[in-house]
Amino acid sequence: MRPSAAVRLALAGTRTDALRVVLTTASGALATVVLLLAVTVLAIPTPGKPGDTSSDSWSRQYRLELLVEPGLRPGVVIALVLLAVPVLVLAGQCGRLGAPARDRRLAAIRMAGATPRQTAMLAATETGVATALGALLGLAGYLAGRVLLHRPDAEGRLLLPTDVPPPWPGIGVVCVGLPLLAMAVTVVLLRRVSFTPFGVVRRTRTRAPRPWPVVLVVAGFGLISLLQPLARWADRRHWTLPVPLFPILLFVAVLLAAVGVVVGTGSVSHAAGRILHRFARRPAALLAARRLMADPWSGSRTFAVLLVCVLFGAGAAAVRAWFASDFATSEEASRWMARAQGQPYVPRDTSFYFDSMDLVNGVVGVATALAAAGMLVAIVEGIVSRRRAYASLVATGVPRGTLARAILWQTFAPVVPAVLVALVAGAALPRGIAGESRAGGGSTQYCVGDWDLCQDPNSPNLRTLEVPTFAHTIPVPFADLAVVGVGALAAVLLVVGAGLLVLRSATSVDELRSA
Amino acid sequence: MILQARGLVRSYGATPALRGVTLGLAEGEILAVTGPSGCGKSTLIHCLAGILRPDAGEVLYLGQRVDTLSEAARSKLRRGAFGVLFQFGQLVAELTAAENVALPLMLAGTGRREARTAALSWLERLGVAELADQRPGEVSGGQQQRVALARALVTEPRVLFADEPTGALDTLAGEQVLGHLVRLAREQGTTVVLVTHEPRIAGYADRELTLRDGVIDATGMGLTDKAVGA
Repeated sequence: MRPSAAVRLALAGTRTDALRVVLTTASGALATVVLLLAVTVLAIPTPGKPGDTSSDSWSRQYRLELLVEPGLRPGVVIALVLLAVPVLVLAGQCGRLGAPARDRRLAAIRMAGATPRQTAMLAATETGVATALGALLGLAGYLAGRVLLHRPDAEGRLLLPTDVPPPWPGIGVVCVGLPLLAMAVTVVLLRRVSFTPFGVVRRTRTRAPRPWPVVLVVAGFGLISLLQPLARWADRRHWTLPVPLFPILLFVAVLLAAVGVVVGTGSVSHAAGRILHRFARRPAALLAARRLMADPWSGSRTFAVLLVCVLFGAGAAAVRAWFASDFATSEEASRWMARAQGQPYVPRDTSFYFDSMDLVNGVVGVATALAAAGMLVAIVEGIVSRRRAYASLVATGVPRGTLARAILWQTFAPVVPAVLVALVAGAALPRGIAGESRAGGGSTQYCVGDWDLCQDPNSPNLRTLEVPTFAHTIPVPFADLAVVGVGALAAVLLVVGAGLLVLRSATSVDELRSA
Repeated sequence: MILQARGLVRSYGATPALRGVTLGLAEGEILAVTGPSGCGKSTLIHCLAGILRPDAGEVLYLGQRVDTLSEAARSKLRRGAFGVLFQFGQLVAELTAAENVALPLMLAGTGRREARTAALSWLERLGVAELADQRPGEVSGGQQQRVALARALVTEPRVLFADEPTGALDTLAGEQVLGHLVRLAREQGTTVVLVTHEPRIAGYADRELTLRDGVIDATGMGLTDKAVGA
């Protein structure tokens, strides 16, 4: 098949197909902008000598301190790449829109003589073309945005790195890599799909999910809990551990926990279904329970990204509590020392840390909104794909309210425990590194009067001060965690409510006639 | 008359499906509605069962208007006094056969255990008790229809609406399902409206009514004065 024919056939379809292409294009454009921003941040030139971490290496032309210090930029890049993940997942969910109509079209193309491989490629081509278009639009938008947002303030500082052109290799990787990645993901997702001339057959997994993802979460926690003993062990032997060891171990631990939480959603859904089935007394709960048990994967895929957002949100809340506790403890020690030395206490400016955490919270908020949009698409698609079964139930007298409650149960039964697990995991990970804030301790020397009087180590003006240790347990940020958890559940409730708006049309008696 | 229809009119956009259908059913009667594809059979049964509202005309159950009832009231009627059986697709794929049959009872407020007991009893009567814990996808089409029939009858409805109940089955399975349907309807005195396009199936009914282009075909085979003169 010629590429032009493949593109024509891939993009042929109804208005729903057009909507799917438009949403995929929009998601691709958004992901391109985010990734190009990440590439640009990586390309910010560092003044001074290579390896210099002093203030000489700072890029002071930016207002945002996270961009000023070279050491903080990898964190910004990671945050931007992570932000692209829910965008891409949203694109994946959009790919499920109008699936029945697309399946019929692909079956007709098979009937006309296309091979299964060609048919699968057509499905992948649609995604690839839409994402490539999105990448081009995203690039155009990014370049236009660079010009529009290049507005230095009164001190000549910039909000974003609009003074740095994104490097061409980076642009190439993003704009070519993203469509290829989208096509590859589509092909992988189609591995359980058989295209036949009579329809598209999806092989669903019938066995219950294995609980092995728990091992990943436990391994993540185990690794985190090893960090403090490892540091103490090395300290006792006066060994200097390699500088990147702790960040790498921390990253691996967070990754293990995050992957465990995401992959474990299938197990959570299945377990929630089993428990619900045991205690279900009403039809809505029974329907939800059986649906969760029959296909725990389809439901769980929809909220996996949301759980990662909760994990990061809870982690950010715990880190903020850690910062606050550390600063409060060191302030307590500093005040004590200033008072003992008879000097005025000058408070330390900690706004940078809290501003950075606000930024992290903002990113988590945006990612949560994107994850919720993906859930909305999945819920609507789930209702539409089961419209005949729902219409039959309504025709036999099942109230739509029962079906709506079943969908609510089906969504919330796994989401509530999974959100709790993600909250606990997210909050516990930073506590694995530090459960207590400490300041002071040991002795320090200070000079009574001018320092010139204390040049001689035996000077009577030189005093030694025994500083007590100030230690506080880092509090669990219950209020912040509640905001994260309730926020996530409220987003899910909103999404289910919006999704249920299509239930009435999906259960119309006309659906009984379109078997 | 347990069920009456007077001058039913129903269109889909500009396409008329029913053009003034009038009929009546006596208690315990089995009426077959036949006719070619697109003649309005399914629309008629949907209007009679309160699934669809007619554009004009009225449907009466025990003398009470059905078409003017609220959506909720009509739904309640369909899970109590009426039973509905379709060609296929009415069973919930994820529920077991027993749970599918128990569903209408649970919707009516019966406890899960009692509903299951009743469901097992109906599955037994239909000869599919051994399938109680199987899901619809794990049994044959004929067995699925027997489970669906058990679900339609479990609330002991006074009227059963069956829309092409054997349309997706082979001859033998179809005969078995119809045999059960007619036997149980007779035993319970249930009135049955049976839509079919197969004359052979219509032979199970007390009366046959033929629809053509949305009106009762007065020249149709098997039509009795009783059917048109309601």
